[in-house]
Amino acid sequence: MFLIEHHGKELLASHGLPVPAGAFVPAGGDVNVVQIPGGAVMVKAQVASGGRGKAGGIASAATRDDVARIIAALDGRTLDGKPIYGFRIEQRVDFAHETYVSLSIDGETARIRLLVSTQGGIDVEARAGNEGTALTALVEPKNLAAAAAALCAGLPSPIREALSDAVPRLGEVFVRHEATLLEVNPLFIMRDDGWVAGDVKLVIDDNAIVRQPMIAALLEQHPSIYPESARKLVNGFDYVEVDPQGEIGLITTGAGLSMQLIDELKAQGRRPLNFCDIRSGQFRGDPARLIAVMQWIAARPSVKVVLVNIFAGITDLAEFAKLLVQAAAAVPELRAPIVARLIGRNLDEARQILAGSPLAVTLEPDLDRAIALTLATLDGAHHG
Amino acid sequence: MDSTLFDPAVPVIIQGITGRAGRTHAQLMQRYGTNVVGGVAASATAAPSLPSPASGGGSGWGHIPVFGSCREAVAATKARASLLMVPPLSVLPAVEDALSGGVALLVCITEGVPVHDTLEIVRKVRERGAVLIGPSTPGIAVPGRMKIGFLPDAALTPGPLGVMSKSGTLSYEVCYRLAQRGVGQSLWIGSGGDPVKGARFADLVPLFRSHAETRAVLVIGEIGGTEEEELAEALTRARFTKPVFALLAGTTAPEGVTMGHAGAMIHGTRGTATSKITALGKAGVRVHATMHEIVEDAARMLAPAAQIAQS
Repeated sequence: MFLIEHHGKELLASHGLPVPAGAFVPAGGDVNVVQIPGGAVMVKAQVASGGRGKAGGIASAATRDDVARIIAALDGRTLDGKPIYGFRIEQRVDFAHETYVSLSIDGETARIRLLVSTQGGIDVEARAGNEGTALTALVEPKNLAAAAAALCAGLPSPIREALSDAVPRLGEVFVRHEATLLEVNPLFIMRDDGWVAGDVKLVIDDNAIVRQPMIAALLEQHPSIYPESARKLVNGFDYVEVDPQGEIGLITTGAGLSMQLIDELKAQGRRPLNFCDIRSGQFRGDPARLIAVMQWIAARPSVKVVLVNIFAGITDLAEFAKLLVQAAAAVPELRAPIVARLIGRNLDEARQILAGSPLAVTLEPDLDRAIALTLATLDGAHHG
Repeated sequence: MDSTLFDPAVPVIIQGITGRAGRTHAQLMQRYGTNVVGGVAASATAAPSLPSPASGGGSGWGHIPVFGSCREAVAATKARASLLMVPPLSVLPAVEDALSGGVALLVCITEGVPVHDTLEIVRKVRERGAVLIGPSTPGIAVPGRMKIGFLPDAALTPGPLGVMSKSGTLSYEVCYRLAQRGVGQSLWIGSGGDPVKGARFADLVPLFRSHAETRAVLVIGEIGGTEEEELAEALTRARFTKPVFALLAGTTAPEGVTMGHAGAMIHGTRGTATSKITALGKAGVRVHATMHEIVEDAARMLAPAAQIAQS
């Protein structure tokens, strides 16, 4: 779960870490009902990715009118293809110096990677080792505070004093909230040697949310900002809308195969709507997951055809076919024809169940042929 | 990595055998030929203080004895491997149980283990010198002989191809198609889609290099992390001469979104397909963009007809 900057900063502030005073205006919201900080401010578009500055998502404003004008120009738009969820309006920071701190999970060593640099700004990781002082360490979680202190001891004053305070405290938040990434860039060093988190990128492990009450509450309040994580928490499986104007709805099991299908469809110039790892092995006789996915697909009128792909190692295809028919009956608004690629246990029985149902479905056990059928159906819909 | 751990006769216990999935897969594995020698109750690993339902192996489930802990199970059965089928938040205590019982190979199929738990798990496994496959693996197999986990029988066929995969379903699809073309597998290791895990692609290089039955290697990778880059380095370092085929899923995935697997997430330039394709290509790996292409290429090189034509 990639927290928008505003939520990342609120989380840091809740642990007493210094962030600039700020307020949030949701997308489509009214700036006039929000208490904004006095003096010069920054207006920062809230998107779930980096590189906002380069993409024009950050601007400074001297007056409330400036703020309103900047928001009006960006509201409802996307930034590098990412939806803007709102705006953080925050006090401009009068800093002496910009530094960089990040904590991340290093898979190769199974440790936490700590990276500090005396130079903050854009492309720090690419520049690491070229300019200023960049120091990195791979540490076990229980040694994080000591390792942070040791790392910062090698920095020049006054950065040393500020980061010796900041890094262990950021480390505590990283471990406590089970983050996979916490990057503060820039981390401002103030004229009085204090520090303030200028920008915050915080990613929380989706699998830890069940035991992270603050994060779970955030998800409940803002399901539209975190649709993937919210869906996963409620429905227990993964669904990512990759193209809101997509023409091919996917009901698929398996993350790798679903990603690969999307890649191959896109490579042919086609527009899949969604990634989906429905995990058919976990249905236990309940069509709920199928109904949910069919509803999400039906909510996008651009979808002209649905491709189902189940490689059943364990799943009983006869049972799957029954659930598919039940789910389709429960979602009559899904009118797009279905191509079902089913292969595995009880295929013949599944074939009979689908043939005897009112469902507009074509069964094809070969995946390449099922894709070809899907595309032919799509082209027929365009010309029909 | 001790290759005797992947011997088809390796004695296996199942942690979580009394659960619904545990019972099913114990039976399916036995039917496939796996030497399943015992189990540990699902509750024993989740809450060690509870009395286990069938401690000591007296009654047990079916004809497989069920024990109260891995220590008891290993003492009674000489098990060397364990399949972990417990809920995500119970994996850490289950791993501790397996390690204190002296299990040498841990195969963890559980999906959704919090990554900070896995940091602790991997540290403990390494301290003990044990081997962990997963979490989030569909399992491992010596096709035709044994499987630990739930790799589908339909895709398992004995043959020359060593398989290492981050993705269950994509490996099933590719191996199923290759099997239809007469190309089966020698040893199949699902390493799982988590960002932190036990055996990584690079760790498997020495195993496949010395594995006589393996004549070529199939790699099913995906975006996120650096495992494919590490693999490229390991192949070059080992002067690996068997052909390696690779397919990478997620080349069009958006940044900052988890694509089903916890490890499949791109941050900035980290974890992108471009970086992986470049690294693997430099190491001499035959990287393909589509399932069709990789199947054609591997079949051309490895199918029985191709062998005859070459000889």
